[in-house]
Amino acid sequence: MRSVLHRLAIVLAVVWSLVPIGWMIATSLKSNREITQDGTLLPATATFENYRSLFTYRAFGSYLTNSLVVTVLSVGVSLVVGTLGAYAIARFRLVWGVERRVAVFLLLARILPPVVIVVPAFLIVEQAGLLDTWWSLVLLYSAFNVSFVVWMMESFFREIPVDLEEAAMVDGDSRLTAFRRIVLPLAAPGLVASAIFAVIVTYNEFLFALVLTTTPRAQTMPVGAATLIGRIDIDWGAMSAAGVIGAAPIVLFALLVQRHLVRGLTLGAVK
Amino acid sequence: MTASTRNGVTRLRRQGEGLDRALPYLLLAPALLLVLAVVVYPLYDGFRTSTQFWRFGRALEDVGLDNYRQAWNDPQFRSSLWVTLRFVFFSVACETVLGLGLALLCARELRFIRWARTALIVPMVITPVVVGIVFRLLYASDTGLLSTVSQSLGGGQVQVLSDPSRAFVGLVALDVWEWTPLMFLILLAGIQSLPVEPFEAARVDGAGAWRTFLDHTLPMLRPVLIVAIVLRTIDAFTTFDQVYVLTHGGPGTSTELISIYGFDTFFKFQQFGYAAAMLLMVALVVMAVSFLAARLIRRQATA
Repeated sequence: MRSVLHRLAIVLAVVWSLVPIGWMIATSLKSNREITQDGTLLPATATFENYRSLFTYRAFGSYLTNSLVVTVLSVGVSLVVGTLGAYAIARFRLVWGVERRVAVFLLLARILPPVVIVVPAFLIVEQAGLLDTWWSLVLLYSAFNVSFVVWMMESFFREIPVDLEEAAMVDGDSRLTAFRRIVLPLAAPGLVASAIFAVIVTYNEFLFALVLTTTPRAQTMPVGAATLIGRIDIDWGAMSAAGVIGAAPIVLFALLVQRHLVRGLTLGAVK
Repeated sequence: MTASTRNGVTRLRRQGEGLDRALPYLLLAPALLLVLAVVVYPLYDGFRTSTQFWRFGRALEDVGLDNYRQAWNDPQFRSSLWVTLRFVFFSVACETVLGLGLALLCARELRFIRWARTALIVPMVITPVVVGIVFRLLYASDTGLLSTVSQSLGGGQVQVLSDPSRAFVGLVALDVWEWTPLMFLILLAGIQSLPVEPFEAARVDGAGAWRTFLDHTLPMLRPVLIVAIVLRTIDAFTTFDQVYVLTHGGPGTSTELISIYGFDTFFKFQQFGYAAAMLLMVALVVMAVSFLAARLIRRQATA
């Protein structure tokens, strides 16, 4: 009896999570006539017209490309830069405890809410003539992610015994070879978790993309989806289709890496 | 750190010669430079901007701390601060209660929870802008899900976003929908890592479920609970995307969070100096909360 109640609660929670999304998908498959006049729950006749219009009359192809390029580049940069930095912090004792100071400094940067630099970032990027380009977004997102990657990877490196690298170095490996051959594979779970969290956060970022881009040349998916949000005259069909298309890449990604997702999300949030 | 790793570190360092000695600095430099250039320099530049008077996208004069004083006397700034505090309080409170309840229910249903977990994760991975769209589609008075269901049951249209207090509740509901899963996951992990013995002892003593919860689960779960609450509080304080899409602060200023007011001041009204000052103050508040929380957590951990 109690077990049935437990399960009922979980089923309710699942329904509560999925119904709003189901409604968006249902709406996106209806014609605008059906949405505004018939008031149906599920589409009477499913149409992909709303989706087609996003790619023909609007630039959703470009938004998708921009999002993918910006996400892959900035997550890549932050993983490489962050992992190397984390390794230095975890393994070396430097003059004046530099490595410890850098770690604390990066933690501070991580706590800082990004919104605080949105005004100067806009002014600097505008002056540099980099408004509406991938590069400004890639740089910003790399920097936002790097502090997080360092913090996360450092704890993973610390758990790997130093003896393993030493043995490899005694056998003639250089430090970097030992790092690549021995340490990195052992830290792979951390790398995966960091990458997952970074990809989700980066793909979803909206505020800086909104401020720093103006045309489909560089606008990312969240910004593109938000352009369909009218105040008065709303094309509900197109808006719901934009929502589905906007979220589809990141939800697919989440389902693909599902096995590592919970770890990535909770670790990412807690670190 | 254990003695053996410390020995390992010194031994490794002694091996270093020439390029090897420079290696750690070379490894550290890119991360440091990136953050210095892209976060710290703008932060400094933002502070300078905040001490200037800007009109029409130009810095007209230095005004010292006038922008900060102006915010202090700005009723709209105060109102948005108040809306933000209420939003954070109600959202995080609901998320904590619901997430904790669900985590307690699920703790023993391990196999069952595995498939449910995927569904529960979707709201928190989905793009926040799209979450705004989802809730626009639920709340729309003519074509939304709430109105459609209500009308098919013989009721009338449901007005959510046109009424100030209902729009606020609607925004809190959005946040609860999106972030209860995170609370749930963190707390579930916390509950599953609790030791088993106290619970068995309680069962032997014949303690009821409620007593066991108050005497054992809650005290032991407290560190995790505090971490989860702090995280959500800090994050909720700068919520922007969802509100931008759902209400953009309206109707009136009923859902105008501080981030929305700061953004409008910056992007719509182009008062760069004033916006920079406001956002800096918001950041200071968030960082102060983080520091206090970190101290609290550390004290909990050592106690």
